[in-house]
Amino acid sequence: MTRGYHDIGGKEAGTIPMVELPWLHWEKQVEAVRNLLGDGTRRMLSLDEMRRGFESFGEDKYKALSFYRRRLEAMIDILVEKDVICREELENEIASVRARWETGYKT
Amino acid sequence: MKPRFDTGDKVMVLELGKSGHIRVPFYVRGHVGTVIHRCGVFLNPEDLAVGNVAGPVVPLYRVGFWMNQLWPDYDGNALDMLYVEIYDHWLAMVDKSAVAA
Repeated sequence: MTRGYHDIGGKEAGTIPMVELPWLHWEKQVEAVRNLLGDGTRRMLSLDEMRRGFESFGEDKYKALSFYRRRLEAMIDILVEKDVICREELENEIASVRARWETGYKT
Repeated sequence: MKPRFDTGDKVMVLELGKSGHIRVPFYVRGHVGTVIHRCGVFLNPEDLAVGNVAGPVVPLYRVGFWMNQLWPDYDGNALDMLYVEIYDHWLAMVDKSAVAA
């Protein structure tokens, strides 16, 4: 039977750590961006497309990333696949935002 | 697509061997459950996962499985059930006389 590496329900997992994790601001932003990309006016990326994205990362990458990091990376993959953005465009934008962030808040 | 199953029907979860994004957890495949509720019809997530939003819509069912049938070492209440929502094409009717309730 086919079983994805993400499909772990029922597998031995040891003791479950019962700790409340903080919901970080950037993680909320990832969800906000996903909601905007999938809403009725845009429909650029569906929840199921994003899930296909991280379910095709390969097991090592999937396990190395956190929940929201997976979602973020999968969204980028799908947007590139659909020609909504290209990698170069994204990297340039990241560099320009980083530069603004590093200098912008110093008075 | 008209719903093939109704509340109370015994259904077997198929192993369709599909790759790509599917919503049926491994641990219920091959198991027999009972249709608890007809949820309506929805676009198939397997289509949505590859950007196909044209349909068709597929009936979705809430299917109940006995916990002690899913997990041989289950030591909770014998009447505990697990509900999973499953699309029509993943299910097959089970002859009611052939399966113990």
